[in-house]
Amino acid sequence: MNASPPPSLSIETRALVDAVLAFIARDAHNNTAPVSHDEFMTADFDALALRLFAHQYANNDPYRRFCQGRGVTPRKVSGWRGIPPVPINAYKEVTLSSEPVGQCEHVFMTSGTTRAGIKGRHHHPTLEVYDRSMTHNFAQRFMSGHERLPMAILFPPESELPNSSLAHYLSLASSEFGTDGSRYFVGQAGIDVDGFRRWLERARRADKPCAILGASYSFVHVLDAFAAEGETFALPQGSRILDTGGYKRESRELTPENFYDALSLTFSVPREHCINMYGMTELSTQFYDDGNVVLPSVKSGPHWIRSRTIDPLTGDDVQKGARGVLVHCDLANFNSTTSILTEDVGIGVDGGFLLLGRAEGAEATGCSLAVDEFLKAVAR
Amino acid sequence: MSERWVAGHVPGLAAADIRYEALAFGAGADTMSIDVPALDAAQMIAVAQHVQRAARQHLQTLPVSRIIALIDAAIVRLLDPDDRYRRDAERLLAIVTGYNAEMIRLGLNGYLHTFRAPELHRFVAEDFANPKVLDEFQPAMKGGMARAIGPALLAHSWAGNVPGIPLWSLVCGLLVKAGNVGKLPSAEPVFATLFARLLAEIHPPLGECMAIVWWKGASPAIAAPLYAHAEVVLAYGSNETITQVRSLVPITTRFLPYGHKLGVALVGRAALDTARGPATARLVAHDVVRYEQQGCYSPHMIYVERGGRVSPREFAQYVAAELENLAHRYPLRTLQFDEKTAIADWRRAAEVRAMSGERFELIGAERATWAIAYSDTPLAIEPGATHRTLSVVSVDTLEHALECIAPGARFLQTVGVAVDAQALHPLAQKLSVIGATRITAIGRMTQPEAGWHHDGRCNLADLVRFVEIEQSAEAMSDRLAAYAEEDLR
Repeated sequence: MNASPPPSLSIETRALVDAVLAFIARDAHNNTAPVSHDEFMTADFDALALRLFAHQYANNDPYRRFCQGRGVTPRKVSGWRGIPPVPINAYKEVTLSSEPVGQCEHVFMTSGTTRAGIKGRHHHPTLEVYDRSMTHNFAQRFMSGHERLPMAILFPPESELPNSSLAHYLSLASSEFGTDGSRYFVGQAGIDVDGFRRWLERARRADKPCAILGASYSFVHVLDAFAAEGETFALPQGSRILDTGGYKRESRELTPENFYDALSLTFSVPREHCINMYGMTELSTQFYDDGNVVLPSVKSGPHWIRSRTIDPLTGDDVQKGARGVLVHCDLANFNSTTSILTEDVGIGVDGGFLLLGRAEGAEATGCSLAVDEFLKAVAR
Repeated sequence: MSERWVAGHVPGLAAADIRYEALAFGAGADTMSIDVPALDAAQMIAVAQHVQRAARQHLQTLPVSRIIALIDAAIVRLLDPDDRYRRDAERLLAIVTGYNAEMIRLGLNGYLHTFRAPELHRFVAEDFANPKVLDEFQPAMKGGMARAIGPALLAHSWAGNVPGIPLWSLVCGLLVKAGNVGKLPSAEPVFATLFARLLAEIHPPLGECMAIVWWKGASPAIAAPLYAHAEVVLAYGSNETITQVRSLVPITTRFLPYGHKLGVALVGRAALDTARGPATARLVAHDVVRYEQQGCYSPHMIYVERGGRVSPREFAQYVAAELENLAHRYPLRTLQFDEKTAIADWRRAAEVRAMSGERFELIGAERATWAIAYSDTPLAIEPGATHRTLSVVSVDTLEHALECIAPGARFLQTVGVAVDAQALHPLAQKLSVIGATRITAIGRMTQPEAGWHHDGRCNLADLVRFVEIEQSAEAMSDRLAAYAEEDLR
């Protein structure tokens, strides 16, 4: 998996890492569909979440200040829902690491698209947990029984984007689950459409299932390029597609309906085999859907991550079926903060949640200046 | 079944020809639907021409003091708690804006008082040393004669939900005897409607001189023909809205934008002794709660001077206590999800700032319907999230506050001050240079005086054009008059 020697962790951290790895492994022999979160090991999940919370509270000054501001201490919390979730923006402003950052093997950074140049940082003293979380989950949710597949990757390789968690994720996908015929088609020169076209042709002739993985906006670029030529590729039956990350103003915006239609039309991959991954730099675990026949699709994660949807103001859980802001508690975030408050709006449903997109503040209804307008104006 | 109400006032068209669109308002049990008149382009032009003709016939023939008397009669009725227009205003505005009913009642009273006849006379006199220039040629100081002519047609594009905002420009338009076509704000189509109907009831010819209409968003197909007919176009709203309107206004047409603004308050040491500190904090809290900080004059940040008996942080806590009191007296309305999100974002940003250990904290329980971000170090001006979100910033001296305010100068409007007599004028001097246009007492921020210069403009003089008869013309006419002595030279 990761070739570098394991970094020296404090005894305490080592013990936590082992505990999390053990927790992740608990369904290692149970390769069936994930069991509903609410039924699965709630007590054990809570116990480990609280252990991690106590550790993070004790070793992470900014996080402790945050909790104190909320009047919360580990003693007052009895389950994962009570752990104060850190707004993801905090990852841009402060260092959220229990280990000294000098001891951290790896730092993943956000793209810095929201506020120019300001990047969130997620420190990982070791990637053991991230990698195990990724591979364990990916095998179940994307590979659909295949051990390896030829993969075309529409994203730059990790060597070009060493701080991108997505680049690392895709590099793991390719090294752990790709065949020798796997290749990257995005690099410094942009998208190698011709190379990708040849790869698709070979894959079609080989008549064995293959996979295309990449950023959603890269898919839009290749779809546009192929559509201009009227090209389609009948990929072998059983082929799969994974897209992630939205468009981030890197490409034109498609409605999800049009996007998945275009994917299945262009590559002959039915929409039930077009999987969308929902992940973020601030997490160490990803969510997947089981295809995108019906939109919005239901997203769910493995047993070591739990989600709730909250009222943005009170922080109370909203009912199933109602809109709320997504909060995730990811046990694989053993070093940073297990619980994060996203800027994403979702609806809790049976078996997971529907992802509705970014939470946008209201436009000003009075004649008082709004923050956005102010920032836009002073930025000029 | 929720209530249905029809907004707008459209003279010059047969009622049956007017198409309406329904806008939904309210939350929970208090919901209603308001039908707003959505004219097509041809109707819009017909109405504009009608209003323009009527103004020439009925309004431009009235002396300004008579117009003031008519407006005053309408205002008196709106101040009468038993009048049906007043009752409609209170009831409908509460549902439409969601503001607390008592807050609306008090706000309306304070606001309407500034439109009584003596105030209107004062308002006219502010812009015209001799108000009779609005009626006829008057001797000019430099010699000759001058008069002020209002636009034949004045188009208003209103925005926002602060009750009564349209009254301001509509009254200005009437005082300069313009024909008026106003576009209702989608967020508050009630007040302008009621005022126009009431005036029409009091003096029917006046009702012909103004039209209150609506269109969706920018709607160039409807708005552009109106603006093409107008002599002056007045627009309220965000920069985005104003940009859209401006793009539709012919370059030769006078365009008067009123963009979104920002208020701040400055609290000096003198107001921070143990007796005055809590009292000042109470006034601040009232300025914050009125109209939920959605007015252009509402405070977003309070700069508090160190060195008084009450420290800036203690002051913040006094404000917090008063906001908590007011939360019971004037409960915050039910918020929509996106409104909640905006407030939550602001609170989260404050919490994140506090995490970095800068001397910064968020005061206000997670469940409170208000929040104060307290900074122990200087902080540049920035809008809050409205709905009772306030920053209190500690500064060594108010000089430092001025440095914090300066970067946001182009958005600055009202500055509420609580300083001693020695400090007021030097401070005002500096604020005026920075860009403030209104300096008022804390506690009065949301209640501008009658005749104030909104955003520093001459709100009436901006609308008119002056016509001058120069002395030479008089002299020549004298020479050409029948009574002239033969010029022998």
